[in-house]
Amino acid sequence: MDFRLSPEEENLRENVERFVRYELIPLEPELANAPDIFEGSRWKSRVKSSEDPEIQRYVAMMEALERKAEERGLWHLDVPKQYGGMEVSNVALIAVTEELEKSSVPFELGNHVSNILYGCKGEQVDKYLWPCIRGEKTSAFGLSEPASGADPSMMQTTATPDGDFFVINGTKMFPTFADVADFVQLFARLPATSGRNGVTCFLIDTGTPGYRVARSIATIAGTEPCELVFENCRVHKSQVLGEVGNGWELNQAWLGARRFQVGIRAHGKSERVLRIVHDLVRHDDKARDRWASRIGHFLGEAEALKTLTYLGAWKADQKMDVRAEAANVKLFATELLHRVIDFALEVAGPSGLRKNHFLARAFRHARATRIVEGPSEIQRHIIQRGLFRDGIVPLELL
Amino acid sequence: MDLKLTEEERLIKNTAARFVDKELISREGDYLRQDAPFLAPGAPARRRLPPEVSKGLAERARGVGLWSLEVPETLGGTPLSTVARVLVHREFGRSILPFRPVSIPAFLFETPYGEKLASGALSIALAFEEAHKTGELSALQMLYRQEPDGTILRDSSIFVSNSGADLFLVPAREQGSDRLGLFVIERETPGVTITDEVDLTTDATVARLILRQCKIPNDRLLGYEYEAGEIIASEQLNMAARSLGIGMRCLASSIEHARNRVTFGRRLAERQAIQWMLADLSVEIRSCTWLTLEAAWRADQELTYFEEAALAKKRATKMAFQAADTAIQIHGGYGVCKEFPFEGFYREARLMRLLYGREEELDRAAGEKFLRQ
Repeated sequence: MDFRLSPEEENLRENVERFVRYELIPLEPELANAPDIFEGSRWKSRVKSSEDPEIQRYVAMMEALERKAEERGLWHLDVPKQYGGMEVSNVALIAVTEELEKSSVPFELGNHVSNILYGCKGEQVDKYLWPCIRGEKTSAFGLSEPASGADPSMMQTTATPDGDFFVINGTKMFPTFADVADFVQLFARLPATSGRNGVTCFLIDTGTPGYRVARSIATIAGTEPCELVFENCRVHKSQVLGEVGNGWELNQAWLGARRFQVGIRAHGKSERVLRIVHDLVRHDDKARDRWASRIGHFLGEAEALKTLTYLGAWKADQKMDVRAEAANVKLFATELLHRVIDFALEVAGPSGLRKNHFLARAFRHARATRIVEGPSEIQRHIIQRGLFRDGIVPLELL
Repeated sequence: MDLKLTEEERLIKNTAARFVDKELISREGDYLRQDAPFLAPGAPARRRLPPEVSKGLAERARGVGLWSLEVPETLGGTPLSTVARVLVHREFGRSILPFRPVSIPAFLFETPYGEKLASGALSIALAFEEAHKTGELSALQMLYRQEPDGTILRDSSIFVSNSGADLFLVPAREQGSDRLGLFVIERETPGVTITDEVDLTTDATVARLILRQCKIPNDRLLGYEYEAGEIIASEQLNMAARSLGIGMRCLASSIEHARNRVTFGRRLAERQAIQWMLADLSVEIRSCTWLTLEAAWRADQELTYFEEAALAKKRATKMAFQAADTAIQIHGGYGVCKEFPFEGFYREARLMRLLYGREEELDRAAGEKFLRQ
């Protein structure tokens, strides 16, 4: 048994640690007043269409960081080698994110590439994958519908074959940034199929006739997910991602890959929130005495979350079934982060509730994470399903 | 990272698992049923292994290297790595039978008592009452003073479990210097009385070790601050490991029962209330398993591990308590029957939550350390 990172992984982690210390942390005071958009990791999609000089100033700051990261070879960490990336292990990616999360600057080492796009074939590669890797295009993910959220197998959007084309009809709810995305990864079902069968993924360009963004919807998390409407939208069969009818596996793969990142981000954020609590109470003997024990409790829970996350990432690297681990991490991470911030608000008192206060912002953001990408109830469902299917075997040591 | 067990670790784990299945779990029926239905009102619900069974188990455990896990090779043992020790205690945790490897602080084997401790001719109890309160010994009241003709221990009264032991390991601080010393006190030493044995919620007892004008030879000072810290961490890891065994047993039985039991036309396994209890329990088992193993691994790598051990203990014992509670709830009437192991696990886990650091105190210590940074 060995809990250490490999020498290469450790080397990468140290590089990122230095980058965070010398490049990100010094920017924190300035970023502290940035607009809500910069909360979370996917601000790029939103800001690219903004002409607000204030926002553009922050964008310039972030772009300068990107160049520095590239110079140091800290770019495209999770991009496969065949696309010029570093293709580091899941464990290394977690270690890197753990370091990045020590700063509140929302910086990622690479552009946000939806992992299922690596399944692009033929012309799709040049049209969608490369531009996403280079940061020229952004995508949205269209899975949920007005009547199917947590259970996507109930989706009603149809793709009816018509010669070399498919005709898409239906409504999608909550794809984030669809209004500013260049294309959407759309899931629809073939006629006369139900459940997980017949689900197919299409890449549909913004502006395709019959496809429109009906509205964007403000949420407490600061994101603005959209409602998409497809009315007799004709899409050529070359726009199918993967195989016709295998879309179910793709949406599961998309969800699965993100879980461990969610875990380590929630860990990092919990620790940053606890540092704020630390600064609030450190000079007040009474407050220290009042809160020390609960602070200690949350520190321990954050440690437990980190351990769970590394375990899952390591198992994923071993190509083991990580459905249970992924569900464990998503559940534990989002529930814990929410409790930690709730506690911090209790310590901070009314001032923490100011709309732009770090804690208020973090709280709104954290509340949404217990719902998006599979609510806690679904995670518990996945976990129990595994328990009744495989018993305690997956909990045994390896 | 490599979270797979090594060949050696797997071997010792399998040995322990076989021993627990074959020797302990198979005997649980007789043990659990003894005198259970006919307890006199007010009589302590104390169950005991018949001495001949205990003796036989000890011999067989010795045969496969599981009687004590710390005995060095020079005294005929095979000392295990901390990870391996955790794996063994995790297996023993699966059985309610009160039999487990004897835990003897390793440094004692280098003292004149070593040989007799290794052979089982002498037994030792840890008089670490203060550590149970806070998880450490910084507020220890017990004082000692060394004089040319012996060490004088301040008159005091300490709670000890395993009060039938021949030797007691007692921590004390030197008057004036505050230096921590660990003393071995023989049971028959003048001024030592064991009294007021009372039943605990588990099938064990606790008694008072009373020292009155107790003077012992100077060479009984056998360990210092670091050894004391190691003992606490090691006991915490043993308890965490045991809790993991309890958790696994409770989870496995509950899944099995929920699969078979039908109420109002549906199996319990189909009821969300039941599913969620088990889902939450499995999350806790997973996180506690790896916290415990990582702390043990750190000990083997000679990294700092006291805080990690305390955290593992805190979370794992609480998890075991939750596991037993869940198992009782899902087994319903059977859950509270003393013929089933769950109520015993419940009582044991409740006690473990109070040993070597209460949750609140461990939380407070971690929080205060963070606030000092």
